[in-house]
Amino acid sequence: MATRKVRYKKLSVKTPLSVLREDQIDPTEYEQLTNEAQIATGVEQAEENEYHLQAVLKSAGVAIDQEIPVPPPQESTLNYDELYARPFSKTSSYIRFSQTVEESIGCMYDMTEEDDAFLKSYNQKRPASAQLSEDDFEGIMEVFEDTSYVQAPFASIDQTILSYDEMLQGLQDLDKFKIMPHTKDVYEYWKSRRQALSNQPLHPTLKFEKHQDSDEADPYVCFRRREVRQTRKTRARDVQSAEKLKRLRKELEEGRQLVLAAHNRELLKAEMLKADRAIFEVRAQLKEHKIRLGIRTDDEDLINQKPQKRKAADISIVQRAPPPTQLRIAVRSDGRPPTEADLSFLSDRLAEKENELRADVERKVQSHNEWNRNHLDLTRGPLSPVHGPKQDHSFRPAKTQYLMTPPASTSSASVDEPTPMDLDKPQDAHPLLKFRGVARDEESRKNPPAYRRRIGRLNRLWIDRRGMVSPPRDVSAEVLDRWKYDQSSDDEEEPPVYEVDPFDTSALRFRASIPLPPWMGSRVAVANARAPLPPPQPPQQPQQAQHPVLQPQPPPQAQVTT
Amino acid sequence: MSPNGANGEAEVGSDGPRQKGKATPDTLQVGCIAFVTKDGHSRRAEILSIKETKSGRQFYCNFDNFNKRLDEWVPVSRIDFDQDVEWPNPDKDKQKDAKTKKTATVAKKSQPAKKTQKRVGKREQSVASDGQTSHPWTEFVESQSKADGNDKANASLELGATPNLGPDEMELDEDETPASAAKKEHAQSFSREQEIEKLRTSGSMTQNPAEISRIRNISKVEFGRYVLFPWYFSPYPEAFSQEDCIYICEFCLNYYGDFKSFSRHRMKCTLQHPPGNEIYRDDFVSFFEIDGRRQRTWCRNLCLLSKMFLDHKTLYYDVDPFLFYVMTTRDDRGSHLIGYFSKEKESADGYNVACILTMPQYQRKGYGRLLIQFSYELSKIEGKLGSPEKPLSDLGLLSYRQYWSENILDLLLSKSESGEKVTIEEIATRLAMTTQDVEHTLQALKMQVYHKGEHKVVIPDKLVEQRAKSRAKQKRQVDSQRIQWKPPVFTAASRTWGW
Repeated sequence: MATRKVRYKKLSVKTPLSVLREDQIDPTEYEQLTNEAQIATGVEQAEENEYHLQAVLKSAGVAIDQEIPVPPPQESTLNYDELYARPFSKTSSYIRFSQTVEESIGCMYDMTEEDDAFLKSYNQKRPASAQLSEDDFEGIMEVFEDTSYVQAPFASIDQTILSYDEMLQGLQDLDKFKIMPHTKDVYEYWKSRRQALSNQPLHPTLKFEKHQDSDEADPYVCFRRREVRQTRKTRARDVQSAEKLKRLRKELEEGRQLVLAAHNRELLKAEMLKADRAIFEVRAQLKEHKIRLGIRTDDEDLINQKPQKRKAADISIVQRAPPPTQLRIAVRSDGRPPTEADLSFLSDRLAEKENELRADVERKVQSHNEWNRNHLDLTRGPLSPVHGPKQDHSFRPAKTQYLMTPPASTSSASVDEPTPMDLDKPQDAHPLLKFRGVARDEESRKNPPAYRRRIGRLNRLWIDRRGMVSPPRDVSAEVLDRWKYDQSSDDEEEPPVYEVDPFDTSALRFRASIPLPPWMGSRVAVANARAPLPPPQPPQQPQQAQHPVLQPQPPPQAQVTT
Repeated sequence: MSPNGANGEAEVGSDGPRQKGKATPDTLQVGCIAFVTKDGHSRRAEILSIKETKSGRQFYCNFDNFNKRLDEWVPVSRIDFDQDVEWPNPDKDKQKDAKTKKTATVAKKSQPAKKTQKRVGKREQSVASDGQTSHPWTEFVESQSKADGNDKANASLELGATPNLGPDEMELDEDETPASAAKKEHAQSFSREQEIEKLRTSGSMTQNPAEISRIRNISKVEFGRYVLFPWYFSPYPEAFSQEDCIYICEFCLNYYGDFKSFSRHRMKCTLQHPPGNEIYRDDFVSFFEIDGRRQRTWCRNLCLLSKMFLDHKTLYYDVDPFLFYVMTTRDDRGSHLIGYFSKEKESADGYNVACILTMPQYQRKGYGRLLIQFSYELSKIEGKLGSPEKPLSDLGLLSYRQYWSENILDLLLSKSESGEKVTIEEIATRLAMTTQDVEHTLQALKMQVYHKGEHKVVIPDKLVEQRAKSRAKQKRQVDSQRIQWKPPVFTAASRTWGW
């Protein structure tokens, strides 16, 4: 510290200072009292003494024009307008831009003078139509360079040069017809250039770290990775990250619920479409009957009514899958005001026309069936009857009304204060796995679970099921053990029989209330979504003629892969 | 500070009195110090490299007390062989073994001291160091003129006292100086470790010293409408040092050693402005904000380009933890790069600027002031006090000093008119400057006086006049109303490295 005669009071940043002009203070005093201490400049110590800097600093407040000399730039002699030809239009708002350099350039290989010479001589030998353009040349070279960078990253060290065949894969993406005749020649050229450069990339590249000791001292090595700063572990940080995990979990759960809800919605939509179709078909039948029986009423029940009324109807339809025709007529024909029925819309007319057409087709199909009724095919290999829609009528596909959303793993309330145990409960993982996408096995699609209800002898009520796939049993060790010494060859075929009072409906009711196990639910649900099941069939024949239309198309991917 | 005493001896003794003698162009070797003509004057210069060209042998000279940007290749004709040449110390290698042992222990001892020292405020440290290089400018000028007058003994003393040997010694902290003085190589590795440690923990941008990097590797750059002559080394691909001229695309900043490649590239490049969001626009300039992590290639290219004009910039580590604020000017071809400053996404030391550069073709036109002003405007929006990262370059110091003094002066003038008192803290918050910078500026302008038991601020008339003049010249200001910017928020993960 410089020695001073006057002892200073320490100057705090909070001390109020009076601001004076030079003329408000005695000049001699000012000269004397000006703080002479050296001022930190923030410049490197060694450079502080540089001639030009000191010259300027000395003159601070004296001359304003003092400058530090630098090598001056010059105007370029290159043709700027040619090199930077693209015009730039000013946007009215601030530019927002996130493309990277690579995305803005396209082909990253730029041909050099040497390439240019090669290409020119190469093209000279060829007719104009079979010449290789500069762009295509660069495209090919880029593929070679990229492929070799990816597949032989240490090419410059181990001197591997990829073979032409290894390059072919990358060339697929280019315009084959234009370049394929040239690639082999360009490859040879590329190879010779690589060899000349001892297998370095053709474009000069920056030197990055290679984790060798020599990197440290090499000023050309740049842009090293920065080590991650170690964060100190503290209790507070643990709590913090626990909080974060909880929040993340909650958010994921919400996302899952959303997906489930969307899935449900789509199922309902499919249901609705099916219902609409059923209504339509029933109406077609109704119309047919009307014509046949000569009933002349308004056609109001054949067209859709006002939307809000329709909505109410829809819900009822969805709830109990299409009710029998008679019922509907009864519902519809009583006291509905024929207000808008006089006006018919074009769409309605068209629908009517189509209905007629369809009915006609159906009639013909029916008569054909009639004609074939007692036909017996006695040829040696009779065509097997077509499966599918013509199934046993009395069986109805199972309409499962299980709960789509499995119980939430954590309710929002419990998220606030879960114990660590809660978070770790394994069953949480289970519903997450529920979504399986499309059920792949044809088996389940062909034979959806179905049931029928019949009254047997002594008025016993029977529920027959079929197509029920029993869930894979979790066979515990004990269970296995139980049968260990009780094996017979045909044991497998007979499932264990449980004694259940067949008269007791409470057991049935209970069973019905159990949600299907998720693995099965998803299968049914997906099958539902993809291919509408045949609607419950009223005995009328024409319906069946429709079915081929409804058959699910095999998924297109399947065709590709097989 | 006890090492100081030892320091004085060690430094003089470090290179020892060099052997001197007459030399010929053929015997002159790297490391020699000779007298070389520069701008009509004969100046002491260290020879850093020698190359053979068609026109004869050339020597790369670093002139005593001249910035490295003025280093140049000189032909034999400019070297004064009538004067003695100082040879590099021949016994350097012999001393090595004995001294490394000694310095190793010294280094170890000084290490704990160093840590405590680091905590001490910057100011104190540099004040102390100023004391060490006890060479006020006037003395230097005198000794310089004596040296010119062939006073060789004086010249050699001069050499010992002024750290003219380039970055190796520049980087040293005080406590290590004995060690470094005793053994240059060793000190270099020591300070290197320390420096890398600094880089690691503080995200600093100071340069790492190495012998090669003292020599400019690229001589000429075609950049947009201009030809630039680089000032310093930049780690472009090594092959480029063979090229007479390299070509840099003005918009994507990609570099080419080959004109055909460059012109092919220009046909494909669609960039016409920096690849980020515009956060400021007036009828004169625009500012773009670019995230080093998202625009890695572009930001690397920018760093390589700016390294040619910034001595203390380092490209040791990658650009991820920085944001780049790029100032451009528009015309019908695009937004042309005028300058930029980089800023750490999170600065532990409260820096609001890491590197700052106005491209040479736009220097001395007031753009630097705009850049600096913009950096402080951002700090104001953040509600923080900011300061540029040290070390400043000579040009950086002048620009900042000017900006600081003008703004403080304006504030003080308004205060003096209204007769209010002012605290340093108030000035700092009003201008988003650190209180340290405010104090330093007040001291540098000799405005702080101690009078009748209290501190006062006095505004010299000279400065008022000067300010009136510069205000007349100064046309452009950043209009803070036009800034569309919110301080970006980064998670801890995105600030650190991690693919």
